[in-house]
Amino acid sequence: MSTSLQTHLQRHFGYEAFRPGQEDIIRGVLAGENVLGVLATGGGKSVTYQLPALMLPGITVVVSPLISLMMDQVQQMRAQRRIAATYLNSLLEPADMRAVMREIESGMYKLVYISPEKLQQSHVQTLLRKVGVSLIAIDEAHCISQWGHDFRTDYLRLPEVVQALGNPPVLAVTATATTAVREEICDLLKIKPEHVVLQSLNRKNIAIDVIPVMEESERRAQVLHQMDEWKGQGIVYCTTRQAVEVLVATYQLEGKRKVHAYHGGMNNMERMLIQQQFLSGELDMIVATNAFGMGIDKPDIRFVIHYQLPASMEAYVQEIGRVGRDGEAGYAALYYAWEDVQIHQYMIEREYPTRRQIDQLAELLRQQQSLTTEALTSIELTQEMADLLVFYAQRVSAPYRDEVDPGTELRDHADRVYAELERRKLLKQRKLAEMIRFAEERENCLRKGINGYFGETGHDYTLQCCSVCGLERSLYKDSRQSMNTGRKETSWDLRQALSVLLPK
Amino acid sequence: MISRSVEAQEQEMLSAVALNAMIPLANERTLQAVYYILRGRKASQTLQDVHLYSLYPYYRMFPRFSKENWDKIVSNLVQRGCIHIRTDAGMNGKSTFMVTTEGVRYAAELSNHYQLARWLTPFSASLLTFNLDTFWKRLHLLVQTVSQIAAARMDFIPVVTDRRIQSWIKSQLRSGEERERWQVHLGDELYKLWSPHPMQVQQILVGQLTGAGHTGRTSGQLAAEMDLAPLQFQLMFRYGLASSVERLQQEREAFSLLKALLDADHEERGDVRLSESAAKTYALIQRGIPKADVARIRRIKESTVEDHLVEMALRCPEWDASEYLSPELADAIVRTSEELGTGRLRLIKDHLGDEVSYLHIRLALARYRGEATS
Repeated sequence: MSTSLQTHLQRHFGYEAFRPGQEDIIRGVLAGENVLGVLATGGGKSVTYQLPALMLPGITVVVSPLISLMMDQVQQMRAQRRIAATYLNSLLEPADMRAVMREIESGMYKLVYISPEKLQQSHVQTLLRKVGVSLIAIDEAHCISQWGHDFRTDYLRLPEVVQALGNPPVLAVTATATTAVREEICDLLKIKPEHVVLQSLNRKNIAIDVIPVMEESERRAQVLHQMDEWKGQGIVYCTTRQAVEVLVATYQLEGKRKVHAYHGGMNNMERMLIQQQFLSGELDMIVATNAFGMGIDKPDIRFVIHYQLPASMEAYVQEIGRVGRDGEAGYAALYYAWEDVQIHQYMIEREYPTRRQIDQLAELLRQQQSLTTEALTSIELTQEMADLLVFYAQRVSAPYRDEVDPGTELRDHADRVYAELERRKLLKQRKLAEMIRFAEERENCLRKGINGYFGETGHDYTLQCCSVCGLERSLYKDSRQSMNTGRKETSWDLRQALSVLLPK
Repeated sequence: MISRSVEAQEQEMLSAVALNAMIPLANERTLQAVYYILRGRKASQTLQDVHLYSLYPYYRMFPRFSKENWDKIVSNLVQRGCIHIRTDAGMNGKSTFMVTTEGVRYAAELSNHYQLARWLTPFSASLLTFNLDTFWKRLHLLVQTVSQIAAARMDFIPVVTDRRIQSWIKSQLRSGEERERWQVHLGDELYKLWSPHPMQVQQILVGQLTGAGHTGRTSGQLAAEMDLAPLQFQLMFRYGLASSVERLQQEREAFSLLKALLDADHEERGDVRLSESAAKTYALIQRGIPKADVARIRRIKESTVEDHLVEMALRCPEWDASEYLSPELADAIVRTSEELGTGRLRLIKDHLGDEVSYLHIRLALARYRGEATS
């Protein structure tokens, strides 16, 4: 078995050997077991379902919450002609959706990426049942856990979907899961303890630096300095789009290197170009919100700087995990000022509706069948939030009655729904508190702190450990002088410019 | 981000563009109508306004123009004494506006300064329903794909994710023979197409393209490199696209490969000259179904079907509208409109009396103007 698995790995992916944990996961899946795989970011999660997809008779369904991520992955697979893959998500036009569904039905694909909300649709389920699903892989499986930092209601319904699809084996994969989250995933997806494959999340080659600052100007000066001096390509994460824009604008006034912003407010093609420029080394740094990085497979990112405190340890670890996937030395800095906490607290407050908004939504739902965007805007609710409220209402009332309209359900259970939201808020506050505690740690090893948070004991490192244990930052500086060559003033020649793109 | 002076310049250019679009609509339409045109709203009324007042260059000029920013521009122009909002209940209670002499002067001054006339020339009626965005995406992905073929490296990530664009490219490059043709001639045809352009326009077009081992710049990066305000960049970019399309339309024979870019996106929808919904209505009308039945079949309001009829009168010269409007009546309406010097439906209707409906007037004006301009 093992040799044939390796042959497949070699032939289809070009790798000589499995990375730690991959083989155990794949064996479990091929034996028809439900498996949970916890692999570090960059640990090769996608291989664990892509390889079985090639070997199993029917199709493999990959549930992924991140539309851009699934599109990237499918794009990459198409480019490499590795596996016949496609995706179904809400961004597809109805005509495209129908076309893809026909192609799936005709057996064109082995691998189908799908967003959780598409998977709830009965005609999609009917189609998948008809074609035959051999494996359901659930990416970012921590989203199913209400104790996770990234809980999504559409994930909670996945166990029902698995059943509806004829109970094929389930593979849940994630890079961030505390003990409580792991237990909940196993419980919901019926995964036995012996089928949990846990890989150390400790990233030995990344030095962990936490830098407390008193005020904004101090932080900005230090970050701008690091952006100029640090070796190799890197990412700077900010909490808000506005902070991204301001930092980029400031850097571009004086900075020596090529930098660009990246956030959800930019259009598709722009984001595509910026990402590609970064991958190909034409850009030195990306200053981004957390919208950047999912599915980016770039081995030689040398540093990640958090301009502000991230919302949770999970988010933090995921983001610094993009450093040094090639195993070479990397560096992660976290800047922390007290005011960062206020921004997060404000965001947590704003994220959830008030008690009054719940009543307003219930009233709207009772008046009309489907909600228009305008109606939602009038009570300042997002579609997502409305869905969440309806979901909670159905969940609290389901045991008592059936076939009640959502408006009535929501009205009758508004208090309990609100209590549920309060619990969610509290959880986010707790996550934030954990993050603050980490940022304020001055006595104990930060590496141990991270790993301890995820229930691990490993704390080895290759070059340097962390700022509490003592850190020589100059090791990450570029010894060469600035690479700013100034703007090249060459004369413009259309023929010549075109021939760069389209050589004769 | 942009420096304060650039931002001021942006606002000034926006004002200039907005004011130019307002002038023909003064006393006739609401300010909202101008906003809809600049944003490129697909409603029949907006398309008709564009047509009636020949505002082709302005249509869909700023697809992401926010209401806040628009309100800012308007209040600015009011403060400068360029426009007056009229509160008399002329337009069914909606307020029209007028442009002052100062407004006209200011528009002329700024247009001159920013060479607006030059960058807005290539837009004609034929471009109104032409999707420049699709054109550019096709071209961009075509260049990238052909470049990768030339480099014999097919493991690339397309810069355009739109499936329809991707499958169009595939359809163009299906056979080895076709790939060979594009590879040999694409550079030459682009050179022929773009060499008459001003240098900066050439740089804007080529600088954004991606090829093997070379990633295109975003509009923001390129504008910064060229020291252009984003809006100036946008105007020149649109000029480049529109004049490319116009030239391809006029000289199809000279561009045996690139002319394919003009093909309608058939997968997209029915008749590309019409809005999506109007195209569906047209298909039914062509089968001889009366408008009341069309409304019933399509489950839309009859007034919406009437909007579609007007759109058809505007864009589909082959459509025989006589069932809804006799040639004699059309003639009378057009004459009245000219005599009164207005396109305002209410005034025309008041003049002609009760037997003339708004639909009659709208059809007549659409037909007449359509014929006059095409």
